[in-house]
Amino acid sequence: MILQAVILAASLLRVCADPNYLPFSNSAGQGFENKIATVVAHYLGRKLSYTWDSMRSEGGFEQFVHDTLDARRCDLIVDVPYATADLQTTKPYYISSYVFVYKKQRGYDLTSMDSPVLHHVKIGYETDTPAEGGLKARALTPGALPFEVAEHPDESPNVLLNAIEGNRINVGITWQPAIGYYLRNHPDLTIVTVPNTRSQGAPEQYSFPMAMGLRSDEGTLRDQLNRVIDQHRSQLDAVLKQYGVRFFNPEASYD
Amino acid sequence: MIIILADLLRAVAGRTLEELALIEERAMNIRLFFLSLVLVLAAIAAGVLITHQQAGAQQQVSLADMSTNASEWVMPGQDYANQRYSELDQITPDNVKNLKVAWMMSTGATRGHEGQPLVIGNMMYYQSAYPNHVYAINLNDNTIKWTFTPKQDAFAASVACCDLVNRGVAYDNGKVVMAALDGTVYALNASNGSVLWRAKNADPEAGQTITAAPLIVKNVVLVGVSGGEYGVRGYLTAFNLQNGHRVWKAYSEGPDSDTLTQSQFHGPHNAGISTWRGDEWKVGGGTTWGWYSYDPKLDLLYYGTGNPGTWNPTQRPGDNKWSMTIFARRPETGQAVWAYQMTPHDAWDYDGINEMILADIKVHGQEVPALVHFDRNGFGYELDRRNGKLLLAQKFDPSVNWATSINMQTGRPNVNSRYMTVAGKNVTGICPAAMGSKDEQPAAYDPTTGYFIVPTNHNCMDYKAFSVKYKSGFPFVGAIVKMYPGPGGNRGAVIAWDPNDGKIVWTDKERFPAWGGIVTTKTGLAFYGTMDGYFKAIDTKTGAELWKMKMPSGIIANPITYMHDGKQYVAILSGVGGWAGIGLAAGLTNPTAGLGAVNAAQDLGRYTTLGGDLVVFSL
Repeated sequence: MILQAVILAASLLRVCADPNYLPFSNSAGQGFENKIATVVAHYLGRKLSYTWDSMRSEGGFEQFVHDTLDARRCDLIVDVPYATADLQTTKPYYISSYVFVYKKQRGYDLTSMDSPVLHHVKIGYETDTPAEGGLKARALTPGALPFEVAEHPDESPNVLLNAIEGNRINVGITWQPAIGYYLRNHPDLTIVTVPNTRSQGAPEQYSFPMAMGLRSDEGTLRDQLNRVIDQHRSQLDAVLKQYGVRFFNPEASYD
Repeated sequence: MIIILADLLRAVAGRTLEELALIEERAMNIRLFFLSLVLVLAAIAAGVLITHQQAGAQQQVSLADMSTNASEWVMPGQDYANQRYSELDQITPDNVKNLKVAWMMSTGATRGHEGQPLVIGNMMYYQSAYPNHVYAINLNDNTIKWTFTPKQDAFAASVACCDLVNRGVAYDNGKVVMAALDGTVYALNASNGSVLWRAKNADPEAGQTITAAPLIVKNVVLVGVSGGEYGVRGYLTAFNLQNGHRVWKAYSEGPDSDTLTQSQFHGPHNAGISTWRGDEWKVGGGTTWGWYSYDPKLDLLYYGTGNPGTWNPTQRPGDNKWSMTIFARRPETGQAVWAYQMTPHDAWDYDGINEMILADIKVHGQEVPALVHFDRNGFGYELDRRNGKLLLAQKFDPSVNWATSINMQTGRPNVNSRYMTVAGKNVTGICPAAMGSKDEQPAAYDPTTGYFIVPTNHNCMDYKAFSVKYKSGFPFVGAIVKMYPGPGGNRGAVIAWDPNDGKIVWTDKERFPAWGGIVTTKTGLAFYGTMDGYFKAIDTKTGAELWKMKMPSGIIANPITYMHDGKQYVAILSGVGGWAGIGLAAGLTNPTAGLGAVNAAQDLGRYTTLGGDLVVFSL
């Protein structure tokens, strides 16, 4: 019996995921994390299984990790920032960034957190993100509209785009992969990468390499996942692109 | 007409077909008579041309020779040694009080000017801040002979880290070479500004830009890259001066075949990989945006590399070679001969790109061909430039506390554990701040006193190292960097450094970081500008202020001095900005801005405002 359980566990890829957080994941398998998981399971030769838990209920992501990965109910979180504290991560498989979103027709001269136009528009931002830090450093949070998509299990990142459409805000600042999928329904909106900067003296980071997360004692699985990332990167890229994820690639250089 | 002919003749000698075509085009504008005359003369000149080309085999000597003529200023640091010292002696401590503005001109750019003009014969060439106008000025009548403004990828302006600065042009053999912020390098015909070739050395879409001045050595143009904030893997590139073809490219990280640390290299092999975890060297930083120097006798080129890729040190265990490193390389092949890493596993953002000054000096009483480097980490380093042996390393600001000293055996810093940054812990009172005890602003050597005159910053910081977190769908980093004036309340100073024992001789305090470079002259004068807008002359021996004048804008550029028509001039670009002044450059004059991360120069707006001008002085 025990042997059977071990064999079964070894033949499964047990993914921890949110059942209701598109575009990332849902229980119907419609998010990009679901699709990434399918590709990874295929190349590992394992059957995909899910442990569902909300990342956005009380306690947030930390509670989610505690209740799923740390409780050994599952072994892999598909999409976490590279080098996240308290997790082991694989090598990064994509890099994206925070973006400014606004109506194209506005024609804002908006290229960085220091663009003067930010002092003259209504800004919306997700709380507890680098966007909030950058706005605070420039005394721009008073008058700006905070969003808490990550705290409300039923909220969609799309709310920010709707707020721009409804002129409740003029410029939204958010993580691009959270809204890339919805942008196709908003052809009148445009996005601009928020560049990393030291303009206020302190380094401000807006682009992040993203990786897969697992328990720190899982050396073998990490190596297997890294091999999949190395060998099938283009397939992972294709999935992300289908979901409108825009890559930021600092490795590109002139040769 | 004689001038035109001489000009054309000089241009014909040893030029490519493409250039000859350009010359022909110019000649069309005069008369056919002159064209045929020119061609005849060109044929006659063949003999001269052969001699010229023979001399051309030692092109570096000719530029080096030119730099011994104190009347001109032919490369960014005055000479290959980056000494920024002039033999001119008309302006003296006695008469400097009579110094007056001789002429001025707007640069047409408003952002930070960190460069300096070049003077070759009767011509002056300089480059403004972004959008990077290049001007050729006829000093005989102060007319603009030509201007050149590159068409740039506008995205570059959004990724440049610390204002849209530029540090100047290079010149050799009838060509003015400029690098645009967007990473394109242009060789311009010095006589008419036409583009002879262009080459791409950086991709703004990948966070790469160029702010540094190129250096031309032995028929190659050395060009660096900025963008350490984006995890760019730094490199230095050499382009053929004649055609813009790439000759070599030396990365700061990677296998020996990328870092060019091969058979000639005295040091550990493949350290550009082995001192990193996994593939992290691929985003290893080590950009090359400082000043380059060259020793023709040893045939070695010297430069420093910047901070390792990611700001989060826990994300990159190991020494992270060759970030924070002084490299000595062969200019023709790029092969490294030696390397010395100043700040292994940087946890404070102390880029190692500051200038290397080459001087034959006494260190502990012994005459030695030295390389002197005032690093951002607050230590002045003196090495034997033949082999990279560390001879002396002392603090050039007494407030430096992140390390107590440098171990002379291993060359490694003795880090004070109290100031080691750790993820998640707010470490307070670290000196210097991330801007360093000195940034790119170049020091000068004064052989008459034997002192180095060094412009310094004097800020400290609180630093909570980066730890990456995830808020269900939204990545972020926990980090705090707060900068504030160092002990005494002044944010900068100009000091004199005695290289024999590594001691500070005198200190002139400045309200703001002393972000302008220095020039020293034979008569015992040093000139520099300040961020609050004063251009000053001081006594090299004592630091006593002898003269000053308020400029149109604050100064973060480097003075030069030259002769024209028998008269000595001093020139400086005024135009504040840069990292220390970016609050102002970006329009952030509200002193309540920057609550989370206090900009160490927030009150600059009370003293000056933006705007680029060239200001030239004479008696």
